[in-house]
Amino acid sequence: MLSTLLLLPLLGALMVALLPMRDPVWIRRVALAATIVVSVFAWSLLAHFDPVIAEIQLYEVHAWHDRLGSSFSLGVDGFSLPLILLATLLMPVAVVASANVKQAAKFYFSLLLLLETAMLGVFMARDWSLFYVFWELTLVPLFFLIDRLGGQNRQRRQKAALNFVLYTMGGSVFMLLAILLLYDSASTHSFSMDTIAEASRGLPVTTQIWIFLGLLIGFGVKMPIFPLHGWLPLAHVEAPSAVSILLSGILLKMGSYGLLRAVDTLPGAALALQTLLVALAFISMVYGGVLAWRSRDLKEMIAYSSISHMGVVLLGIAALNHAGFAGATMQMVAHGLVAGALFYLVGLLYERTHTRDIGDYTSLVRTMPRFAFFMILAFTAAVGLPGTAGFIAELHALIGGFARWGGWMVLLSLSLLISAAYALRTVGRLFTGPVGVTMKNVPDLTRTEMLAVATLSFGILAIGLYPAPALHLVGASVTRLSGFFGA
Amino acid sequence: MNALFALVMLLPLLPLLAAGGITAYILSGQAQGDAGEPPTARLAEGAAWLTLLGLLGLDLLALFAGVPGHVAIGTWFASGGFTIPISFVLDGLSLGYATLVALIGLVSLRFSRHYLHREPGFHRYYILMCVFLAGMLLIVLSGNAVLTFVGWEFAGISSFLLIGYAYDRPVATGNALWAFITNRIGDAGFILGISLAAWWLGTVEWTGLANWAASGSAFDKITARLVLFGFLLAAVIKSAQWPFTVWISRALEGPTPSSAIFYGAVMIHAGVYLVLRLEPVLLHTPGVMLALAVVGALTALYGWLVGLVQTDVKSSLIFATTTQVGLMFLACGLGWFQVAAWHMALHTIWRAYQFLLAPSYMYLVNEKARRVPAWLAGRQWLYTAALQRFWLDQLAVSMLIRPTRAVARDMRDFDDNVLAHLVGMPARRRAGAFSAGDDRDVVIRGHGLAGAVLVWVAERLHRFESRLVMRQGTGPLVRAMRRAGEYLLVLEALLERPRYPILLVVATLVIIL
Repeated sequence: MLSTLLLLPLLGALMVALLPMRDPVWIRRVALAATIVVSVFAWSLLAHFDPVIAEIQLYEVHAWHDRLGSSFSLGVDGFSLPLILLATLLMPVAVVASANVKQAAKFYFSLLLLLETAMLGVFMARDWSLFYVFWELTLVPLFFLIDRLGGQNRQRRQKAALNFVLYTMGGSVFMLLAILLLYDSASTHSFSMDTIAEASRGLPVTTQIWIFLGLLIGFGVKMPIFPLHGWLPLAHVEAPSAVSILLSGILLKMGSYGLLRAVDTLPGAALALQTLLVALAFISMVYGGVLAWRSRDLKEMIAYSSISHMGVVLLGIAALNHAGFAGATMQMVAHGLVAGALFYLVGLLYERTHTRDIGDYTSLVRTMPRFAFFMILAFTAAVGLPGTAGFIAELHALIGGFARWGGWMVLLSLSLLISAAYALRTVGRLFTGPVGVTMKNVPDLTRTEMLAVATLSFGILAIGLYPAPALHLVGASVTRLSGFFGA
Repeated sequence: MNALFALVMLLPLLPLLAAGGITAYILSGQAQGDAGEPPTARLAEGAAWLTLLGLLGLDLLALFAGVPGHVAIGTWFASGGFTIPISFVLDGLSLGYATLVALIGLVSLRFSRHYLHREPGFHRYYILMCVFLAGMLLIVLSGNAVLTFVGWEFAGISSFLLIGYAYDRPVATGNALWAFITNRIGDAGFILGISLAAWWLGTVEWTGLANWAASGSAFDKITARLVLFGFLLAAVIKSAQWPFTVWISRALEGPTPSSAIFYGAVMIHAGVYLVLRLEPVLLHTPGVMLALAVVGALTALYGWLVGLVQTDVKSSLIFATTTQVGLMFLACGLGWFQVAAWHMALHTIWRAYQFLLAPSYMYLVNEKARRVPAWLAGRQWLYTAALQRFWLDQLAVSMLIRPTRAVARDMRDFDDNVLAHLVGMPARRRAGAFSAGDDRDVVIRGHGLAGAVLVWVAERLHRFESRLVMRQGTGPLVRAMRRAGEYLLVLEALLERPRYPILLVVATLVIIL
């Protein structure tokens, strides 16, 4: 079942690559069809998934390297399934967002589908070695996507791509070391996550801490956590619109997802390093927020706001209790939807106006009312207004964090306040003011574009207004994980 | 049998449904012109008819089966240990008066059909009348203070909107606001009464209050006085008793049939009705009753004196009304609750008739208006005082409105000059949209102290970010690595020369051997 899901986008990539024609429109259509098929298949998994069970489900395993103990094993639980659904939902949007890719379309779309395989693999892998393989596999398509097809300035985008890969590789080295150390100290002769987790929970805390720190660096680069975020603003700004959607929507979540798994494997270390984690979370939240407020470039602003929002995820994880974990998972989904929508919309705006400077826009609400509607919705969700998914997530993280640190949560409020400041300023700049000459004839969203962004907006509102099903989906796994910390 | 009486909960809903129906009718866009009027009127009248028939049915039932008294239907909401029930009280007083209310409502609605023909706000008027009818029925029928309060507010808000019916006239809207705010003081009293009753006595049911008053041991006079103070403040204001009489004379701006039903006939008696509901508690607190009697007597005297010098029909009627209602309060204060109840019912009927007739008086009455009696005309000061309505209006303006305005102005100055700078609100003139003259180059800027702090922090962080995090090309680590790479290149170049590997091999061999 899960291997089919893994193979489907790969098959799509092959199909796109082997397509006899060169017409970019048709290539895009095939790619879109492939992503939609994957999406439908992934959502049909819900029928086979029982949210009451906390354990790994739909498990499948094939031996890979007997002597080492690595295996090709896949499985999902309440943490990974929402992210898989999110990823398959964002993929068609990303393909739709690539409407202006004309050159090297085959190359581009096969890379995109290959990237989807790798991402899904990360979320489904139940074996640390397999996890690592998929983790590294995401780098290959991303490097080419940014380096070859990124922004206008060749030097900048090459720097961005190189920067991104070097940062992630640097983090991965630590992660690999940590995984090997974990394998060694658990001495189970297996890379299977479950086996290792069971053995490693009994390790002495000092060992656990060393391993956890290694994993933290690896995942922290991806997430990103405060001092390790240097790649993100550059990569987001330079990447093509679709890749920005995937980067912020899904790839960042790989980091936080990995961190959740690390907490699952090494609860002792997580408890010991709780203060460090929460400090990093607070710094990321405020730091990202202030820099987002400081930037004039729309894409850069959203990139920095991603750091701030992923800080909320880290805060939820660091709370180590039920509400915290639930908030972290919900925030991953919420941020995926919101950042996806924002990057998509900003990309569309850039295509139409060829500027991303907030100061250049004025009174767009008259020329692009539909755009304005969705943009404002996405921004309010980013701020976490009640009725949107962001509110549910932030509320849970807040409750979880409050139980642990009480008054320190005022820092979360501070970051929310800052995010409200830049969101409202941007909305004010973009949509109000006198009608400008340059912004007079900007076309509004087309039907396809509206369909894509409406899908995301629907998700944002559905989770915001009726969060029960989503919370139910993650509930059992969250309960199991928080059980290790007696909360 | 009780199941049938439970149908009473539908009665206040019927006019509300009619109001909803009329709203939908307006939204459908068909409520236009002359042809649009009859459906609205029919809907409202139909609801009133159904309500009246329902009440008559309940009356008949009560005649044969006896009044059920308190009818509990369910729980509205519960929070903690505190529940608010949905309950109604059906006794002789409530059933009788509710029937009267429904009848007068129906008559006024029927009257309005022609009276308001081709008025611009025809449909709006009907919606408000229906809301008012629902509110009034709730006041009369509900079995607990909270539901009564819901009705109380329905009546208050619809009265506010009907006084401001001609919203393009500043006088009308000003008077509407005046009346509404005076009523809000009463509402505050009502809420005080409800919360004190809930907090101290644990019940908001009228029967619960009565049982508490009758319990003897648990009864406590100070508690009773405080609870009564809240409720009676609301009653006194709603019934325009002294010194709150002024609002009612300002409330006549609305269309005549609405004045008839609100101030002449029905709503002004809501206060009396509330006093009658509180009878069991009042009987145990003679001091409060005395105060009630004094207020009633003062109002009656005031209304009589001022009424003597009025020159227009509606004003003389309204002061006559306050006189009568003052007498009812006096009767209650003296303990003659039965008398007050009958007085209220009869006065309702009579006043409704008079008010509906008011627009035709000029045609009906041929003789000259009665002169001011000689004893009043002779006493200049009394005459002036009566003519000026004892300066209650001016007193309220100078004692309440002016100080409030002054405080508000000071607050705003504080806001503008101190708080706005601290918090960083944009200046008042720039609030909302960005003005045209905005400088393009200062997109990112903070206002006030908080904004300045944010800008300062942002600048520092930005410098940190661009120096240390973003600039990998020239960082110390990269420089060190580059230097190491140069050394390695030299080493590599050395190793490429054949003699060194050979030397190495030889050395290795020597060591092994």
